[in-house]
Amino acid sequence: MENINNPILQDPTDELLIQHFKNGRKDVFDLLYYRHLPKVYKRVRYVIPENDVEDVTQDIFIAALNSLPSFRGDAKFSTWLRTLTNHKVAEFYRKRTRKQEPPISPLSDASTHMTGSTSKTMEERIYLQRALQDLPENYKEIILLRFAEDLQFNEIAEMTNQSLEATKSLFRRAIAALRTHLEK
Amino acid sequence: MDQTNKNNNPQYDDQLADFADQVMQGKQNQPASTSTDELRSLEETILRLNSSLPPTSLDDASIKQMQVRLKARIRREEKNAKTSFWEKWFGRNVSPQLGLAFAVLAILIVAIVSVPSLTTVSPSTTGTATASVNLFIAIGLAGVVLIILWAIRRK
Repeated sequence: MENINNPILQDPTDELLIQHFKNGRKDVFDLLYYRHLPKVYKRVRYVIPENDVEDVTQDIFIAALNSLPSFRGDAKFSTWLRTLTNHKVAEFYRKRTRKQEPPISPLSDASTHMTGSTSKTMEERIYLQRALQDLPENYKEIILLRFAEDLQFNEIAEMTNQSLEATKSLFRRAIAALRTHLEK
Repeated sequence: MDQTNKNNNPQYDDQLADFADQVMQGKQNQPASTSTDELRSLEETILRLNSSLPPTSLDDASIKQMQVRLKARIRREEKNAKTSFWEKWFGRNVSPQLGLAFAVLAILIVAIVSVPSLTTVSPSTTGTATASVNLFIAIGLAGVVLIILWAIRRK
């Protein structure tokens, strides 16, 4: 990370870094990676089985690296990266479905690798992740923003251009929908 | 309280949001005692979510290790990436002028083989003689094309 000390990069914004990247400074991607990995990782870890978290995270950053030259800056980079993350997570589950793995498969995987309480925790995690994945997009998103990214409700409201009341209402409906999925 | 009222009750929304905040701060690990049955079941869902998928954070060392592995994967994928035959010869690495030259040569070969009148052989020499001359010219042109391809490949 020696490039962080470069005068050109003293606490630069994402937009400035992307500009440098487009001008041929490919090394600034390291800084973008370093800055955004924790949030991407948290989000991926919340919805993807443990064994695949790092692979999917890598897929996201490789896709970001390849698509960055065409990033127009209409939205913030973090928003763009969040959308990319959602696409890659959906792709992960699509590929799994295409392979026609039975729904119970990940749970069996967890049981094979773990024993006792660890296996139960793993199964519960996978069960919750599947339930989350089955939720409508806006419900899933608010749960991820609050729990995976640890954003406050007022931050979520600002980001989604909603009132605080509407955000909290959406959150309650999302939790209710999750409960219904878990009860199935 | 009927279901419709519950669905539009801002007090419910606030209570559940506050509960989620407390859970995230680690201040709450069981449903609030004052909650109604409906709210209690939602709080239990939040607790279940939080205990199975607790918040995590990556330390610097982990980030750097992941970065090293990412770079290794990018290098590996770049190395393994093979361009197709058509992309290799007619893709973006081949200049438009060269592509045009190939096209002209191909048309010439087809024309010479299929139109005997383009050759210099006299009208009296017909049949196999004309065909052989055309064939030799076509083979010659094909050879030129192959030499050009070979020369490009060596670059």
